[in-house]
Amino acid sequence: MNLVHLHLLLNHFPIIGTICGLGLLLVSLSGKNDDLKRAALIVFAVMALISLPTFFSGVGAQGAIRGLPGVSNALIERHEGAAMLAMLFMEITGALSLIGLWQTHRSLKPARWNVLAVLLFSLITVGLMSRVGTTGGDVRHPEIWSGGAQPVDTGIAGIIATFEPAPAKFTDLMIGNKFWWAFMMDLHFIGLALIIGAVGTLDLRMLGFFKDLPLRPLHQLVPWALAGFGINVTTGVLAFIGMPGFYTYDIVFWMKMSAIMLLGLNAAAFYFTNSFNVVEHMGPGEDAPLLAKWIAGSSLVLWFVVITLGRYIQSYTDTIKPR
Amino acid sequence: MALPLFLQSIEDSSFSTWMRESESPFAFYFVLLFHTFGLSLLVGANSIIDFRLLGFMRGIPLAPLKRFFPIMWVGFAINATTGVLLLTAYPTKALTNPDFYIKLTIIGFAIWVLVTIRKRVFDDTSLTEPEMMARGANLARWSLLLWVGAISAGRLLAYTYRYVTFP
Repeated sequence: MNLVHLHLLLNHFPIIGTICGLGLLLVSLSGKNDDLKRAALIVFAVMALISLPTFFSGVGAQGAIRGLPGVSNALIERHEGAAMLAMLFMEITGALSLIGLWQTHRSLKPARWNVLAVLLFSLITVGLMSRVGTTGGDVRHPEIWSGGAQPVDTGIAGIIATFEPAPAKFTDLMIGNKFWWAFMMDLHFIGLALIIGAVGTLDLRMLGFFKDLPLRPLHQLVPWALAGFGINVTTGVLAFIGMPGFYTYDIVFWMKMSAIMLLGLNAAAFYFTNSFNVVEHMGPGEDAPLLAKWIAGSSLVLWFVVITLGRYIQSYTDTIKPR
Repeated sequence: MALPLFLQSIEDSSFSTWMRESESPFAFYFVLLFHTFGLSLLVGANSIIDFRLLGFMRGIPLAPLKRFFPIMWVGFAINATTGVLLLTAYPTKALTNPDFYIKLTIIGFAIWVLVTIRKRVFDDTSLTEPEMMARGANLARWSLLLWVGAISAGRLLAYTYRYVTFP
């Protein structure tokens, strides 16, 4: 297993997953089925999360094939630029979906504006993701080049290409000014404090601390945690773009990403088992069921693992071989 | 201006040298990690109290949030301790940087605001929730502002120093 494997393993998910999500959303709209609508929003949120390691592993894949005979660096950067633009729309779709899921929790269905926004952004994401797939295929599969010549973006592809950032310029933009970098890191720490404050309170109450607090309203903390997470995904991705080689060949960075994926599973375990329903109706003094306590405990531990791994990234650079 | 020699003496001590130069993951970065843990406990819990005092998450009863204070004091104790250790590792770097004094001043005010919130809002158990919020809203605004300032000043220490060690 190396970073190329990881990239090949992950890169089909955002492309096919967003198509599945869009399909579910369209069917739910024609049939006015709110459960299907929720399913579509969940699929988009999951895809937004999986897109992060997919994007990050691309730099490792690039490092493994750059300079090999027949490999064009221009085609790789074309693919990377396409991925950056698609990522932007994917993450916005994911964030809108989480807002929609929050609304379904409060009033059984998402607001009209939310459904329209998710529809619009997921449509664009599906289109952009298919371009990411095609440009990615072009890197290593000359047999799919039309006319046998190195592909050139014309027509609609040409128009989209003008919106795609040049990766090297984007990198320079992130690291050109040290105070911009300091500002991003500052926000990353503020996001961290927000996450721990919100998630920590909810988890500790589920574990049996502060029992005079009713659990039901504590669920209002979740949007604050998600806001912190949103800040940190944004600043984290921008930092990665600023120093791709620094993070890519760092084993601790990948451990941190794995811990964040596990936290996604943790959230799924909370909402898709009976735990959430039970906790949702708990008043002051009541004790959460054992499963809910396990979920809360592992969430708390995993968040501190994420902080720990994040702190140690800079001590473990160059611990993964490029080839 | 000549730098005071005690900075050099601290740096020459075996503990300070070990903190800076050890390859062990349990040296400098371990202390820095706990400084981050302490931050998350203190600022995380305090920000939830602040947002609640400002009228967000009104479903959560205010009075039981008093239970957060021990957690915040643990966070503060961790950070006072680890802060001294970090200062021992790089005394010249910190003490020659005006930003370091700005950071300490901001933290001083933030803790003072926190203690005032405790006294004026939480210690008087006869207050109703609207009364608690009326008394605490302004303090909460200052608290949030000061903690953002403290974190920012702390982060800036890594980018604004003049000397790393005694020249």
